[in-house]
Amino acid sequence: MLNLNNYKEVLGLNRRNQEYIRPYNPPSAKAIADNKVRTKRILAKYDIKTPEVYKLIRNKKQLEFLDWESLPKSFVIKPNQGTGGNGIIVFYGKKKGQSAWIRPNGDIMTKRDIILHVENILEGRFSMGNKSDIAIIEERVKTHPFLKQYSYKGVPDIRIICFNNVPIMAMTRLPTKRSNGTANLHSGAICTGIDIGTGITTYSMHNIDDKNIMSDTYELIDSTLDLKNNKPLSGIQIPFWDEMLEISLKCQKASGLGYIGVDIALDAEKGPVVFELNARPGLGIQVANQAGLRWRLEKVKGLDIKSIKHGIRVAKNLFGGEVEESIEAISGRKVINIKERILAYNKGTDFKKKKIEKETITAFADTGVLTSRINKSLASRLGYFESIKFFNQLDIPTDLTSFKEAQDIINQKSESITVNSDIKRLAIIIEDEKINVRPVINVLIKISGQLKEIEMIVTKNIPAAIVLGSNDLKGYLIDTSNTFKN
Amino acid sequence: MKYTEMTQWLITNGVQEEMLTLLVAICLLATIVSITRYIVGTKTYGIYAPIILAIAYSYSGLKYGLAITIIVILSSMLSYSILKKIRMHYITRIAANYCMLAMGLLLFLLIVNKYKIGLGNISAVPALSIISIVALSDFFTKQQIKKSFKNSIMVLIGTVTVATIGWFIITREFVSMYFVNNLILIPLLLAINILLGQFSGLRLKDRFRFGSIVNGNENAKS
Repeated sequence: MLNLNNYKEVLGLNRRNQEYIRPYNPPSAKAIADNKVRTKRILAKYDIKTPEVYKLIRNKKQLEFLDWESLPKSFVIKPNQGTGGNGIIVFYGKKKGQSAWIRPNGDIMTKRDIILHVENILEGRFSMGNKSDIAIIEERVKTHPFLKQYSYKGVPDIRIICFNNVPIMAMTRLPTKRSNGTANLHSGAICTGIDIGTGITTYSMHNIDDKNIMSDTYELIDSTLDLKNNKPLSGIQIPFWDEMLEISLKCQKASGLGYIGVDIALDAEKGPVVFELNARPGLGIQVANQAGLRWRLEKVKGLDIKSIKHGIRVAKNLFGGEVEESIEAISGRKVINIKERILAYNKGTDFKKKKIEKETITAFADTGVLTSRINKSLASRLGYFESIKFFNQLDIPTDLTSFKEAQDIINQKSESITVNSDIKRLAIIIEDEKINVRPVINVLIKISGQLKEIEMIVTKNIPAAIVLGSNDLKGYLIDTSNTFKN
Repeated sequence: MKYTEMTQWLITNGVQEEMLTLLVAICLLATIVSITRYIVGTKTYGIYAPIILAIAYSYSGLKYGLAITIIVILSSMLSYSILKKIRMHYITRIAANYCMLAMGLLLFLLIVNKYKIGLGNISAVPALSIISIVALSDFFTKQQIKKSFKNSIMVLIGTVTVATIGWFIITREFVSMYFVNNLILIPLLLAINILLGQFSGLRLKDRFRFGSIVNGNENAKS
């Protein structure tokens, strides 16, 4: 049976309009959010970055005299008072020697097509209430490479809802092939909830609308769609998280909107850039976070927030940290610290015996290397002393000049190492920028409660007694800030 | 027909009977639209479109009304997809859509006249009610241009559903008679709307949309 009380946590459209938008968003503040040019001007006063404006076209005359050649190769055309991303066209490049520009999906628009589109903007086709509008030609945000791997062509954005100077809830919208590179949820972009406390992604949804025209329902998904390499969507650390929270609160202050949705994109060069302010942010964010907005808003109502830092602290304390409990459940992965305490068992450990010889050590997670590595002295202590000695007796030259030379040595020695059952194979590694051949052994370890036998290259000069390489880190989420475990 | 004193007085003082019924119908329909919007969460093309559509249906009959609605929407879709390929201004596009719509309707009336297809009495349908339904095309095309085809279809379905509910209610003789004879109910409808205006509970659609959060939390707790 459904417990109807749980619905009390959810914010519906009626309550959003009645209790939050109407009382907290005065018309003068809404007018700022609904007008991108004014938004840019006001945010600039607060040193908040927005995409750079190349040209403003206010009327047909200005359109007629527009110097198209002066525009950069890539740009975006937007209606000043557009809603829901309508009327926005992105151009990736210019066709050589022609007055034509290329769109993300490969379509080509000639100057005449673009002029017509701008005329439509001016006539108010995309603006609220069909009012005549201004067309903005602005810089195309170049997606930060980190977020680029999760989205199809377009620019992903991060939406943060703030109320009473506290960030309340956040999500990121990732363009997909189906959404045609736009970050519009209705057209099929993915929305992923973000834990306010850490900036780590939690649940992901996408609209399964296209199958059923009547439904407005979302389906939970685990990984990106239609990309060459689909990646898991939960557990991603959004870069510049604290900065984004700060920006969203600054935007709230600048605009005067008590209840605001701030859309931030992450530019490869500029970092966080505010796309737009939203005076009537949608409620789908609750689905992406699998959490209700209502109780969060009620908790924050009436608090006396003294500064931006204070607001962030309150948000992190009140709403952060949910990810800690649920991240393993969501992703099916274990969280490990970048420096994780693990147990390394002695060679040939028999678990039936009473006394088990093991060492507790700090392993370093390094996704930059493939095979894990073990320090020579630890390997010796774990019972591989004889094997290391055997390897040393093979008289393999060190500091080789090329990989080919190293491979030749491995080929030569491959037969002689079979005598020693501990050495599984020989591997080429780079130590202190020099190429060397080293033995590989199997070591039994316990990490995050799991017993594992993993291949390790015996070496020296590594940052920890054991370095875990990416081969053995599959299935783990690495926490670089020791947020989850001590 | 026997009216109450108040109604009789109105009729003898220059308010036509039909006008009175229509005014009552408008109040009822408007209230239905606000209930479906704020309690259920159905999206319609504003409030005017479902009201005018329900009234048009009451004049044309539901069968003819829906048939004409379908034809209007189909020809709008057809004209939109043809005109999409042509570079043109926004208002000219809508005007051109009307021209093509008129042709589509003419063709439809001719076909019905020849083959009947269960709509043999279409010539008896008042022209004005047909024209009122045609206005739907404007709402449909504008929504499609501004938002998307899918969105427009969804809102269309909402509008036609609400209009059909409205048609059903206002065409019940006893309902309209009761309201005409008890005009005090009109301030009551006003009060209902004022109350609805304060309603901040979840719409049925919100419950459906956010059900996964509530269910998800339940599962997590159990």
